Amino acid sequence: MQGNASRTVRSLLQLCQHPPAFPAAANRWFHAAAVRLSSDRQGQEQPKAFDSALLEFLVCPLSKKPLRYEESTKELINEELGIAYPIIDGIPNMIPEAARMIHRKAQDEESKHT
Amino acid sequence: MAAFIGAAVGRAVCGCRHGQLSSVGRGLFSGARCLAAERETHFGFQTVPETDKGEKVYQVFESVAKKYDIMNDSMSLGIHRLWKDILLHQMNPYPGTQLLDVAGGTGDIAFRFISYIRSQWEHQIKQKLKSHQNVSWQEISKSYQEEELKLPGGSQVVVCDINKEMLKVGKQKAQHLGYSEGLAWVVGNAEELPFNDNKFDVYTIAFGIRNVTHIDQALQEAYRVLKPGGRFLCLEFSQVNNPIISRLYDLYSFQVIPVLGEIIVGDWKSYQYLVESIRCFPAQEEFKALIEDAGFLKVEYQNLTSGIVAIHSGFKL
Repeated sequence: MQGNASRTVRSLLQLCQHPPAFPAAANRWFHAAAVRLSSDRQGQEQPKAFDSALLEFLVCPLSKKPLRYEESTKELINEELGIAYPIIDGIPNMIPEAARMIHRKAQDEESKHT
Repeated sequence: MAAFIGAAVGRAVCGCRHGQLSSVGRGLFSGARCLAAERETHFGFQTVPETDKGEKVYQVFESVAKKYDIMNDSMSLGIHRLWKDILLHQMNPYPGTQLLDVAGGTGDIAFRFISYIRSQWEHQIKQKLKSHQNVSWQEISKSYQEEELKLPGGSQVVVCDINKEMLKVGKQKAQHLGYSEGLAWVVGNAEELPFNDNKFDVYTIAFGIRNVTHIDQALQEAYRVLKPGGRFLCLEFSQVNNPIISRLYDLYSFQVIPVLGEIIVGDWKSYQYLVESIRCFPAQEEFKALIEDAGFLKVEYQNLTSGIVAIHSGFKL
């Protein structure tokens, strides 16, 4: 049993050291696979962005009212209550304790004065 | 080590469901229930203020997140995978099903759901091909395009967990395993879900509801977010009724699991909590009544592995 296993390991190692010559078609396939892999990797970066399709489901856990996605700050905003929920690594954090208070009205008034 | 085990057994005797074994235990058990009225709750066999439980549970799962899957495999000898497969078979989702998986941080249910939907879809296509042999190239290319953009039939699964660390592990796993379409991750509390009313066809919670501070509130929220006709499915540890199996199970739970926890994760306490919290969770019938109280109809349960776990099911009609 062990002998068998070590033999297969050895033959695998040999295969790695001296790979058989691939026909051109196989090479092309490998190239294509490599291209696909790199495009997959690009795809993996995408999920960091917020998927706005989620807005169809998401509401503020407190008021159960719809939210607005603010792209510049990466937050989900409940205008009525003046709370902003952060989106970290593409995952919205909908825990009220994690939310930020925004004093929109106060800011508006300030901007009027200046 | 011996002292640890001794302490564990000592606590086991006066623990929640073990209250049924000894009168001392029963006294403590009802005591804990009385305290619950004064806004206290159990964290394992400890009685803690309700406000502390969430924090404590958070710490437990934060601590175990990275090794959660290895621990599940080693503690249940891999059986948790079968339990989760059975849950999916009970759900039997079709292409188009909208699923909310609560407390599903590491994605075990969500990934199974996606695989199930895909295989259902393939089956449907095969059936179609059988019924009419001439499928146009346009139809074939369309089916591939659909597959690449989203899950068949527009199925979606939203994984909601209160614990960021568990979600992080799940999301990494998803990228690694190649699940991305129709899958979303949200940090949220089961007691105040950040989802609109009547949105989901199925709500699942697997090994999660035990850790929620107010189970009744979590059930009400489940009811709210489900569409009329939607189904609630809960996979959770339950009560073993066979006395011999129960004895062996207790021995294993209290003597082996915390030791495994110490060896694999380096965290005895978290796994001590795990086994204690299992004993404190209401038994099958009691939990069934809670689900009915939330408004669900046709509530049923199925015991798996002699009642070590049970699947409760209910409908919003």
